[in-house]
Amino acid sequence: MPDISRVAENSSPNGATASPVRYIGVSKRYPGAESDAVHDLNLEVPAGEICVLVGPSGCGKTTAMRMVNRTVEITEGDILIGDRSVKDGDGAKLRREIGYVIQQIGLFPHRTISQNIATVPNLLDWGKPRIEERVKTLLELIGLDPEMGDRYPSQLSGGQQQRVGVARALAVDPPVMLMDEPFGAIDPINRSRLQNEFLRLQAELRKTILFVTHDVDEAIKMGDKIAVMRKGGEVAQFATPTELLMEPADDFVEDFVGADRALKRLALMRVKDVDLWEAPLTRAGEPTGPVKTALAASDIEVPHPLLVDGENRPIGWLSDRDLLAERVPAIPDSIADLKIDADQTLRDGLAALLQSGSLYAPVVDGRGRLTGVLSAEIVSDFLASPEAAEIAIPAVDRPHE
Amino acid sequence: MNELLLPIAEVSGDFFKDRSGGGCIQDNKLFCPGWVADNYDRYVDPTLQHLVLVLSSVAAGFLIAFALAILAHRHRWLSSPFLAGTGILYTIPSISFFFLLLPITGRGQLTAIIALTAFTLQIIFRNITTGLRNVPPNVTEAARGVGLTSQQMLWRVELPLALPEIVAGLRIATVSTVALATLAVFANGGGLGAEIIVGSNITFKTGIIVAGGIAVIMAILFDGLILLAGKLLTPWERAAL
Repeated sequence: MPDISRVAENSSPNGATASPVRYIGVSKRYPGAESDAVHDLNLEVPAGEICVLVGPSGCGKTTAMRMVNRTVEITEGDILIGDRSVKDGDGAKLRREIGYVIQQIGLFPHRTISQNIATVPNLLDWGKPRIEERVKTLLELIGLDPEMGDRYPSQLSGGQQQRVGVARALAVDPPVMLMDEPFGAIDPINRSRLQNEFLRLQAELRKTILFVTHDVDEAIKMGDKIAVMRKGGEVAQFATPTELLMEPADDFVEDFVGADRALKRLALMRVKDVDLWEAPLTRAGEPTGPVKTALAASDIEVPHPLLVDGENRPIGWLSDRDLLAERVPAIPDSIADLKIDADQTLRDGLAALLQSGSLYAPVVDGRGRLTGVLSAEIVSDFLASPEAAEIAIPAVDRPHE
Repeated sequence: MNELLLPIAEVSGDFFKDRSGGGCIQDNKLFCPGWVADNYDRYVDPTLQHLVLVLSSVAAGFLIAFALAILAHRHRWLSSPFLAGTGILYTIPSISFFFLLLPITGRGQLTAIIALTAFTLQIIFRNITTGLRNVPPNVTEAARGVGLTSQQMLWRVELPLALPEIVAGLRIATVSTVALATLAVFANGGGLGAEIIVGSNITFKTGIIVAGGIAVIMAILFDGLILLAGKLLTPWERAAL
């Protein structure tokens, strides 16, 4: 793993911070077209957040994004970065101040990895020592061996090339980044890994990011805010992932988000984020009396006592037969095979429960110590609760391991 | 016509320089090494003239075709007329070209170079434009997206990536110009063609073989040199995985 904390200190040579991006009544009509590709778009992306533009192909999401760096010119309206209009000044100069990552990565095949990363610093005449230092820092940041810097893009794997593409976009520490389906050309397994890596990076860098994708799962995973766009270049809904999943604005959004949106919502939460049940605990050799008393209580959540060891690590569930003895046996009737990791997503936790055919299972922390009991009932109660509609965990803090 | 043809008698005066005692010429073998050893000096000037013809016409052709290709790259609509124009030049038989130029530039090296230059345009132009067109769109999109101006894009991205095609065009143009330049003799432009004409008017053929052989070797050498230069200029093409 790259040492992000050290890198982040060096990553603001200009003292650049993230800037908010505001679309004010932005429309785009291509010459000769009968209707707008993007129509009267009003969006506000707060500094340091990831805003995902998602929608079916032809909905204008890429056009909307490209107007920010004027690779597509605005027909009507304005886009502000901070309080500066993107229309002011020279387009090429503007683009040097905005990070840009595209699906096909677009590394320069004739330049080495280091030269690729140094593209914008070179354009800005940073001078050799500063550029070399920056390239070194960025190679570290993306977890590439410094000697890879002398290779050509064709000598790197797809995933490595994608990382270099991100490093090139980050080279001058731009306040805003545009990412056009940046993980679209990567196979599913590596895509998930790169997404996670990127979220970890973003947790440190806190750039304002406009992120285009057609994949609603990716949007939910990466977005702090999601703008669902429909044909005609209009925003159907602009909301947090939770809002989108809880209350789709209309049939189009509901359809687009998918019938499994309840399950998708579960992927936004970790097991440890919900109120878990408490089981009566007992240890081997203890008298069974107190446990029996606890079980007799009316507000009991788990009907069986859980046997734990000295470190509070769950061993198994005690049956009624186990409780007939005077003292708690060392080996209970039913060993707890299934233990759910508290850091797992609620969705994975539920899947584990369903797969093992259990109604509930102990939840453990990183050291295997009990933190509570998860049941299918907790999950369904959580989905029905008003609290579930209000959670807004920043993308970088959400479960993405 | 007469005024263009070489006065054979003049050059053939010392053609029979033969220190082998005449045996070689009398036997009239197809190839006579002894005669070559005695007469190699007579090929020095024609070879140098040939080099001048080839180098100056390929250089001029490259500069013109390059300028045309850049123009056509900027303004796509120019591409077809340029292609048609260079195509017409390419199809004019070289000897008629010399005659057409006669009233303007007269007989001599310049006439030959102009005609030879005209022949290289089509090949070089075509290859440069193809090379520029084959630059992957994702690369130009990224280049624009990170803030290269169209000038910077052309010189730093598009032309370097078009190099393999440009080099290929230069190789074909150079090799064919080495061969075509043997016809420069009809414009009184010198070169190895003179020796071939002289040889073709007598039954002793060694002279033709030597002059033709020099042209072939010259073509191979140029081809190899340009190939090598191209490889050195495009290290990324050889980057092993």
